[in-house]
Amino acid sequence: MKLEWRVTLGAAFFLLAAFALYWFTSYEDAGSVLLFFGGTAYILLFAFILLQYKRRHGTPRAEDRPDANQSDGAGEVAFFPSNSIWPVSLGIGFVFVAVGLVYGAWYFAIGFILLLGAVIGFNVEADSRTESDSHPEQHSHTE
Amino acid sequence: MTIIEERPERQEHPVERRLAEIVPGPEPHGFVKYATSTDHKQIGVNYMVTSFLFFLFAGALAMVIRTQLIVPNNHVVSLDVYNQIFTIHGTVMIFVFLGPFAFGLANYIVPLQIGAPDMAFPRFNAFSYWLYLGGGLTLVSGFLTSSGAANFGWFGYAPLTEAVHSPGAGADLWIIGVGLTGFSGIFTAINVVTTIFMLRAPGMVMFRMPIFCWNQMVTMFLVLLAFPVLTSALALIYLDRHFHTHFFDPGDGGQPILWQHLFWFFGHPEVYILVLPYFGVVTEVFATMSRKPVFGYKGMVGATLSIGGLSMGVWAHHMYTTGAVLLPFFAALSLLIAVPTGIKFFNWIGTMWRGTLVLNTAMLFCIGFLFTFLLGGLTGVMLAEPPLDFQLHDTYFIVAHLHYVMFGGSAFAVFAGIFYWFPKFTGRMLHEGWGKVFFVLMFVGFNLTFFPQHDLGLRGMQRRIGIYPAHQGWDFLNMLSSIGSYIMGLSIITLLWNFWRTLRKGERAGDNPWDGGTLEWACASPPSHHNFESLPPIRSERPVWDANHPEDLTKVGH
Repeated sequence: MKLEWRVTLGAAFFLLAAFALYWFTSYEDAGSVLLFFGGTAYILLFAFILLQYKRRHGTPRAEDRPDANQSDGAGEVAFFPSNSIWPVSLGIGFVFVAVGLVYGAWYFAIGFILLLGAVIGFNVEADSRTESDSHPEQHSHTE
Repeated sequence: MTIIEERPERQEHPVERRLAEIVPGPEPHGFVKYATSTDHKQIGVNYMVTSFLFFLFAGALAMVIRTQLIVPNNHVVSLDVYNQIFTIHGTVMIFVFLGPFAFGLANYIVPLQIGAPDMAFPRFNAFSYWLYLGGGLTLVSGFLTSSGAANFGWFGYAPLTEAVHSPGAGADLWIIGVGLTGFSGIFTAINVVTTIFMLRAPGMVMFRMPIFCWNQMVTMFLVLLAFPVLTSALALIYLDRHFHTHFFDPGDGGQPILWQHLFWFFGHPEVYILVLPYFGVVTEVFATMSRKPVFGYKGMVGATLSIGGLSMGVWAHHMYTTGAVLLPFFAALSLLIAVPTGIKFFNWIGTMWRGTLVLNTAMLFCIGFLFTFLLGGLTGVMLAEPPLDFQLHDTYFIVAHLHYVMFGGSAFAVFAGIFYWFPKFTGRMLHEGWGKVFFVLMFVGFNLTFFPQHDLGLRGMQRRIGIYPAHQGWDFLNMLSSIGSYIMGLSIITLLWNFWRTLRKGERAGDNPWDGGTLEWACASPPSHHNFESLPPIRSERPVWDANHPEDLTKVGH
């Protein structure tokens, strides 16, 4: 994960350096603020990845070792549902709410009902997975 | 070496990475599959097909624009409708075609190239597709309202977008539609970055990822910086229109120039968001069709990263003529971008150098891309210089420049990518003969359309005008340009025919028809549900080539 945190740190540094240069040459508000917050956003991302990296105490993941074999990645990779009705319901609900911003109450009403149903459905689906998949030998590959 | 042609051979190796599934039942088909699938390949195809349909729509709008401009004092459409047409043409091409097509490629190809079974958040991924589709439809539905679609140009300058100047639902639908595609882009970016960071196959260290994946990663970094700015600017203009705030309304102390800053802080990275994934596409095609690894791999990665970085600091070069921006800062950074882009050109030519070139349609489009994108890049360097920009701002020279970059660059690479990965998507080869007809018509039509527009701009024709007087020296060039656009339209028809005939009776492609080196060629065409039955050992940036050409491993300098 070394390269991952280095790339994000580099992006943060670049944006903050650009912010400093831009602010002290132009004193223009909008762009300076945007560059500054862009830089801080990447510091957050960097900090998160660094935390994950430190948590591994120097043991690299299989995908970070140049000599890793496929068997080193054995075990459950992650949870991948194959089909689900909820993304499309959530999407339609979201779009209806957004169009409600133009056309008003009726779109809002339909959109909110769809959104509510979809959010509940999404979560119930995720719960059902933890019940059915809790094998005792399960060990996660990605954190 | 687990990658061998015959399937039975493969079955001997057990699936090494076990996967949990929620619904182990039978796969749905047809519309249900389209609507409910969370498979990254299905979603990628959804993105690409949808955005291609939007491309056809916006291309038809472009035909109307060129028909209006074919002779002086022409009245095919009214001026108000003309404004709506060029606005929606630009908006759809930028927000609903080029970007989402790249997202579709990212969805389909990135997990395959890094050896992942799917994207990191499959349901979230499907959700962002539906937001994108809803946004695109909302955007174009403005044409169905009584007052027509938005008519203020694709960058929606304030105060023209204020309620006083643009009343009617069309403008609101534009704001909502663009906002929805923006959300969709942010979600896709989160998904792709997480996938690349967390789901690579063992041995696939960052510096073995194909350049396409690197470029997608940097693109998604830019999306994360740029799109939130756009969506918040759209929220502000919405508040201005409906809740009587005055962010951009000069009459009440608002600042129209603030909109320009916010929009271009999004808009310039957006240009690179639209072009970096396609740099990745042509890099893959050059390497595969030259039978060589990418020349200067780390230089390519460095160039991509520095283009991504620099593109964050050049937004105001769209705003030179406002007189309110710091010219030296933006001119210097804009000119600097030419350096990493030059490195990329050098490395593409280096990849072809002494290679065994295969001049099929995908490769022809990439070579065409080298010429047309270079021209667009050179006029970009010219326009980065304030004295020239003051002369040429808002003329057809800009129109020519941006189409050479966006069409001659990105769209040519779209076609290269279609021809290159179509066998992987469908298991069938697009017809090469028709492909070459398509390329020739497209290349000729494209240059005939947009090259004269440079000269039109130098002769003072402003962009966005719907009617122009005769005897300005513009008549012949406009005629040429319109004829060129019809040739482009014709070429698209040959492409559609090629799709049609290929899907019906196209020649079967094997798993690896181009003898490609990256991991997507290690799975079946089209890939099965969780992509890989087994993976070859990953020891370089083209593991499949190593598996298929063991003799190369002993060569010096590999």
